[in-house]
Formats: sequence, C-alpha cells, structure tokens
Amino acid sequence: MRRIGIAGDFSKGFLLFCYKSFIFAVSFFLTNTATSWAADKIAKIEVFPPTPYEGYIIYESLAIFWLFIISLIVIIRMKLREIERIQELGVENEDPDAPVLR
Amino acid sequence: MNCPRLKDWLDERYDWVGMKKLAKSKLIPEHRYDLWYYTGGITLFLFILQFITGMLMALYYVPHIDFAHKSIIEIVTKLNMGWFFRSLHHWGAQLCIAFLFIHLFGTLLLKSYRKPREFVWVTGFVLLGISIFFGLSGYLLLWDERAFAATRVATGGAGAFPVIGWFIKAFLRGSMDVTGDTLLRFYAFHVAILPIITLGLVGLHLILVQYHGMSVPLSLEKEKLREAPFFPNVFYKDLMIWLVVTGVLVTLTVLMPPEIGVKADPLAPPPENIKPEWYFLFLLQTLKLFPGEILGLNGETIAILLVACAILFFFLIPFFDRKSARGEKSPLYTWIGVIYLLYFLTMTVVGFLS
Repeated sequence: MRRIGIAGDFSKGFLLFCYKSFIFAVSFFLTNTATSWAADKIAKIEVFPPTPYEGYIIYESLAIFWLFIISLIVIIRMKLREIERIQELGVENEDPDAPVLR
Repeated sequence: MNCPRLKDWLDERYDWVGMKKLAKSKLIPEHRYDLWYYTGGITLFLFILQFITGMLMALYYVPHIDFAHKSIIEIVTKLNMGWFFRSLHHWGAQLCIAFLFIHLFGTLLLKSYRKPREFVWVTGFVLLGISIFFGLSGYLLLWDERAFAATRVATGGAGAFPVIGWFIKAFLRGSMDVTGDTLLRFYAFHVAILPIITLGLVGLHLILVQYHGMSVPLSLEKEKLREAPFFPNVFYKDLMIWLVVTGVLVTLTVLMPPEIGVKADPLAPPPENIKPEWYFLFLLQTLKLFPGEILGLNGETIAILLVACAILFFFLIPFFDRKSARGEKSPLYTWIGVIYLLYFLTMTVVGFLS
C-alpha cells in the first residue's frame, strides 16, 4: 500500500507538474503573442532621433540658431537706426549732377 | 558689395534705377496700430516656407493607401533631417492658419476692408478658406486612424448641407466612403490644385494691396501721420519679425514633433475622444450645441446651414457696412467683429478642453 501510495504521490506530483507546465506554456505563449499584437498597435513611432547624443546635438544647434537670430536682429536694428539717422539728416537723396567715380 | 559691371549689364537691359526709385517711393504710414501690417507679411513668409517644406516632402511621399503611412514613417525615421522637415511643415501650417486668423480679425476690427478695399478682403477671406482646406487635405495624407476618422467626420458633415451636400461629400470623397480614392484626391488638391489657386490669389491680393496702398484706421484718418519708405525701413522691420517667427517655428519643430498614429483601418472603430485640428473645433462645438432633431428637421443640417449663413455674412461684411464706406465710425460692426472673435476663441478653448 505504501509503495502504491508513493507511486500515487509521484504520479500526482508529476501530473501536477505537467499541468502547471502546460498552463505556464500556454499562458506564456498567449501573453507573448498578445503583447506582440498589442505592441504592433501601440508601438510608438520615433518622431525624434532617439539617441541621447543626437538629442544633445539638436538642442545645442537650436541654442546656436537662437544666438544667430538674435545677432542678426541686432545687426539689422543697428543698420536700420543708421538709415533712419541719415534720412532725418536729409542727405540720402542723390545729387543727379554729382560726378560718378569709377 | 559693388559690382559696376553687373550694374551696367542690368542697366542696359532693365530700368534698374527706375525700379529702385519705385521701391523707395512706396510709403507706409506709421501709427500705433501699424503692428497689424506685419501680420500679412508673416503669413506670406509662412506660406513660402510651407511651399518649400511641402516640395521636399513630396519627393518621398507615396499617395497610396498601402504605402502612404509607411512612406511618412520612412521620411521621419530613415531620411536625414526628415523628422525635422515634416515637423516644420506641420508647425508651419499651424502658425500660418493662426496668423491668417489674426490678420483677418485685425482687418475686421480696424475696418481695413472698407471702400475701396472690398476685394482685398474678399481675396484674403478666400485664401483663409483655401488654407483651411489645405490643412484638411494635408491631415489625411498621414493616413493614420485619427486622420481617417477626422476626414470621415468632416466630409460627412459637409454631406449634411442641404440640397448640394451629397454632391460636396461625393466630390470630396471620390467614392461612398473615405478610401484610397479620397487619399489620391486629397493629395491632388494638396500638392497641385490648391497651390495653383493660392499662388494666383496671393498675387492678386498683393497687387490689390499695392494698388490701394495701406489702409489707415478710421480714428486716425484725419491725423497727419508720419510715413516711412517700404524699402529699406519697413522691409528691415519685416525681416526682424520673420527671424523671430522662424525661431519660434524651429523651436516648436524641435520640441514638439507631431506624433504618427496607427495606420488607418477602414473597418476598425474610430479611436476614442477624437478631435479635429484646432481651427475646426469651434465648428464641432457648435454642432454639439444642437439637438438631433428640431421641429422634425435634422438638427445637424440646421446647424450647418446656420454656420454657413454666419460665415457668408462674415464674408460679405464690407458690402453691408455702409457707414465705414462713407468714412463714418460704425460701432455695430466693431461689436459684430468682437462677438465673432469671442465666439471663435471660446468654442475653440471649450473644444480643446472637453
């Protein structure tokens, strides 16, 4: 009886192990497939270069671009002031009789 | 830079000196509202940027339902700076329409539409309508589920218009539903038909502005105003403003590149909480205000008819406002303008938050 009992315990354990393995395998398969299906749907498309190095270069370029814009604005503003100053003096009108130097 | 030989070469062929004199002879009045003059220049600048970035995108885009979405993903992920130009095109369109609205409401509130500038208003208004259609047609080209659902709603809404609605809907879709035919049709509108009409109308608008000169607000008409030559004074100011707009545009482009959704599936249910582009939100909110049925008639049809009447009245304001045409103050039309502006802003904000 004892031997049968041991055999019975063993077979029970084995069956339980097989059952658990099967459930695990099926659920693992289903979970994996489910995630990959979902992954296809949800996967975010990278709309910005993903590496930190590229990100750093882009943000740095943006800062330099703003510096360039501000510098250009300052130069144009200075040029405009100079033009307005000359216009106020009234000396910008060309003299049609002035000799042309070449 | 002094190139006497080039100058001589040009002088022999063209009246170079005459052209310079003409550019300097155009005068712009200076007053406390003259900032509004620059909104038109900004819009023109953004239009040009849209044309350039659009041409670059058109080199790689494939207008077919099987490849459209994929081609945009490839532009963004595989091409050098592809993500940047797509984002620049997206944000350029948003800013362009925003500045068109600012320019429109500025013109309305300053009564710049009054006699003899009615056709300047008409061409500008038509350009706004075309720009909105540019936005709608460009949105579908992405061919993701949101673009697909939004186009279905927009073209379906046009179908609710009485008598000619079915024709507009069929004309826009090219078939019973939004399909590959619609995509091809919208592509043709976006890259060929609308740009040609836009070029013609922008040209006409600019010629009319040059012909009539800059409008001065009614309240300042009797004052003696200082005038500055367009070239170089106002042109340099334009340049500075364009530089700032470019900076803002590039910053938005880099910090907020637009997302790409899942490829459109005509059989899938529409995504939850779908919203159209911001400039359609006021229309959507207005439609939501109406019940499904009013006195046995379709509520949506009545709503669309009322909105169409309101837009038509807005379009014809220069012809209704007789007081402004006579040079008198017309507070009624100022209030009408303010009400239109407040309604547009409120409904857009409510639509955005809901």
